Amino acid sequence: MTSRQDAIADALMWFDDDAGYFETLKQRVAVETESQEASQLPELYRYLEDFIRPDFEAMGYHVKVYDNPFEGQGPVLLATRIEDPSLPTILGYGHGDAVRGQADKWTKGEGPWVLSRDGDKVYGRGTADNKAQHTTHMGAIKSVLATRGKLGFNSKFMVETGEENGSKGLKELVAAHKDAFMADAYFASDGPRVNIAKPNLTLGNRGCLNFDLEIVARDGGHHSGNWGGLLANPGIMLAHAISTITDANGKIQVDGWSPGPMSNSVREALNGVNRDGGADAPTIDENWGEPGLTSAEKVYAWNSFEVLSFVTGNPSNPVNAIPPRARANCQLRFVVGTDHENIRSNLRKHLDANGFDMIEIVDPPAGNDAVFLAARTPPEHPWAEWMCTSVTRTTGEIPVMIPNSGGSICNDVFQDVLGIPFVWMPLSYTGCSQHAPDEHILWSLTREGMELVTGVYWDLGEEGTAWRP
Amino acid sequence: MASMMSTAGRDTAISAIEEYFDNGTFREDLARRVAIRTESPEPDKRPELYRYLEEELTPYLSDFGFDCVIHENPRPDGGPFLVATRTEDPSLPTVMTYGHGDVVRGYDDQWQEGLSPWNMTEENGRWYGRGTADNKAQHTINLAAIKAVLEQRGHLGFNVVALIETGEECGSPGLKEFCAQNKDLFKADVFIASDGPRLRPEQPTIFMGSRGVFNFTMTLELRGGGHHSGNWGGLLANPGIIMAHALATITDARGKLLIEEWRPQPMTNSVRLAISKLKIDGGENSPDIDEDWGEPGLTSEEKVFGSNTFEVRSFVTGNPRNPVNAIPPKAVAHGHIRYVAGTDPMTFLPSLRKHLDAQGFNQIELEAERDYMNATRLDPDHPWAQFSIKSIEKTTDQEVAVLPNLGGTLPNDVFAEVLELPTIWVPHSYAGCSQHAPNEHVLPEICRQGLQMMTGLWWDLGSGDTPKS
Repeated sequence: MTSRQDAIADALMWFDDDAGYFETLKQRVAVETESQEASQLPELYRYLEDFIRPDFEAMGYHVKVYDNPFEGQGPVLLATRIEDPSLPTILGYGHGDAVRGQADKWTKGEGPWVLSRDGDKVYGRGTADNKAQHTTHMGAIKSVLATRGKLGFNSKFMVETGEENGSKGLKELVAAHKDAFMADAYFASDGPRVNIAKPNLTLGNRGCLNFDLEIVARDGGHHSGNWGGLLANPGIMLAHAISTITDANGKIQVDGWSPGPMSNSVREALNGVNRDGGADAPTIDENWGEPGLTSAEKVYAWNSFEVLSFVTGNPSNPVNAIPPRARANCQLRFVVGTDHENIRSNLRKHLDANGFDMIEIVDPPAGNDAVFLAARTPPEHPWAEWMCTSVTRTTGEIPVMIPNSGGSICNDVFQDVLGIPFVWMPLSYTGCSQHAPDEHILWSLTREGMELVTGVYWDLGEEGTAWRP
Repeated sequence: MASMMSTAGRDTAISAIEEYFDNGTFREDLARRVAIRTESPEPDKRPELYRYLEEELTPYLSDFGFDCVIHENPRPDGGPFLVATRTEDPSLPTVMTYGHGDVVRGYDDQWQEGLSPWNMTEENGRWYGRGTADNKAQHTINLAAIKAVLEQRGHLGFNVVALIETGEECGSPGLKEFCAQNKDLFKADVFIASDGPRLRPEQPTIFMGSRGVFNFTMTLELRGGGHHSGNWGGLLANPGIIMAHALATITDARGKLLIEEWRPQPMTNSVRLAISKLKIDGGENSPDIDEDWGEPGLTSEEKVFGSNTFEVRSFVTGNPRNPVNAIPPKAVAHGHIRYVAGTDPMTFLPSLRKHLDAQGFNQIELEAERDYMNATRLDPDHPWAQFSIKSIEKTTDQEVAVLPNLGGTLPNDVFAEVLELPTIWVPHSYAGCSQHAPNEHVLPEICRQGLQMMTGLWWDLGSGDTPKS
């Protein structure tokens, strides 16, 4: 066990050295990898070629950067280190892209692209999501290699650059190069912990479908004095339509949008799970969402509907006119069990039945049209149990297993294309302002993640603890 | 013999004004006035408001014997006033007239190709330009008609006080105070002015009041920033959904008002009778009326001239241009009520507050946006109304449409209630004029007939046979 501790100590030494982890992450955050902006495609390549490729090659990986099969979408890097074909192969994952910087809305740090420390918080776009998380994995692998001289297992690690734009083309690319990406199990980090104080493992994800609701009533605005009362107001109609999709407390009311009854194993896994997003996390609205569910069940085992944006008229300069159109960008997050193929058609039926046949359900803007399917590794799967044991070795405490994350990620690639079990160990926390201005990581939490991830990679190659499929 | 002579003089004056139109001078005068960018909602355009009064109207009016004085607005946010008087003999009747030199924002980039708000252009027989309809053509017609009478008769035969304000599109800030403080300036027997649309493009129209307008903002700010909809969806109340629900309780899905206190008093028989003679026709290019919108059981004319209406002027949540997968922190709706005489605007916000609280929407904050303009009406049988109708029928040989009030809103409460004048409005535009929207225009044939009508009306005012105060 001395060597396990040596590996962790080595990882922490790198982490604590300003020229180590911080400098590495700083360089990575400075690359403006906004995958929702088509013009940033060169930055996505630069991230992989200049920052990820050299580090993996230095660790003896063979690196290949695949162009995306979809025009205009970001590349995917695959780093492969095969030590012995008879050993199990573990696939890792990270995404180098980030959501838009929203530079004008930051109030902390030095804007989205300059990594900046303020006490325990380290600000920068893409820190939490996902640059710090894969930087931690790469550092952990390096320390295990340095300590042991080899990994003791085969490692593949992919870094994609389109996650924030729906991982377009990833599924097709992996399917086309299935052998190259194939592994026995999958381990990666993204997203937040459920409870800031406790590590958890996450076994799946909610799916996500965005769509727009739109009414174009007529060509232009019309003076509300001359026409008020005579012309249907699209803002009023769309507000009414939305008010039928959920009740005023967010409970979904569309037939066919329910995931069906929660399974006992999921309910049990979530029993006693408490969310704690840390000091800056928003206050949970207890009355919001599906009545009768715990907070954990609402996010990890149920569907939620959001109006991500709504606009009618000219909000910055409202005029006294009946606006000609109204548009809402909407989203359904859904868990395994939901009839995901009929989300839009079931909404269509619902709107028609409520008299809103004038509302069109249309594709969302290309920058925010990600589609993710729901996926889940069963809590009783041996890979999940092995991961649980490894984390316990580091912390002395059995981690919480979350049936799936609230957020969405490309698990369907692993579930449906590669058919391998997948386990996530999220290293951020829910108050991290991921996808919003002032995104940050907690330095102390990231340091703990360094220990946990290093422990897993150590155990994978160690006689006596190694996982065998 | 005297009446024969006066008819001949009247006809000659009308011929002169026809020549003024036909030789292009009216168009030139209007184009020059449209070219001055008097956008009162833009604070940096304030110098243009002065320029309009000082460099355009003052020289024009001084030329035919008006004393022109520019008065500062008693309110710092209000534009200047021009008071132009021509007093021939205190024993003669005095007419007060009014116009506004300011316009709504140009929205330059939203106009049809080839059109610009500031360069008046003819296309398809229409004259396009910001402020053509609202209100520059209208006061240009009325002032030119006074000049024509003066030139023909050598004197007017009545006294005039003209008030041109420059803040109407901002809700006429300071107008009420200015008139209340200067009542002696505006002592008159009747108020005759022009703004707004005719009932139908081809039918001369008068109205004697206007619906009031009450603008307000509804704000729901639940927390400081956006939160990832995957991690938090189902746990955090979505302000866009809640605002949609709240709006959906103000009217039903087809625009019928659901707040009892906002509903109008029942129409009196005389108002109902006057309205029953009206037929709305916005002319070609006007929008299709949604027959099933608004208060059920009312005719279209009753909806606009005899009822109250609520509009969502704008509503925004999230970032509609670049939606992200986050629960937005805030939703803002701008609404307003158009209301007829007999409804007390002081009750609007308290009753909405009570209504929203009763439905559980007590977190939504309400704020009046600016001073309301009160609703006014004058009985269609009033002697000055009858005088004006007769004069216009004599000039045009057409039946005049008589509206108890305009559907739109004018600061008529200042003239009717503060100055206590009988108010007559003779509109020279039409409902399809895109007032307050891109592609605002006037119809030249209405302008030409307006010049004839106003010349006849001013002529008759100076003929000695006017109603006694």
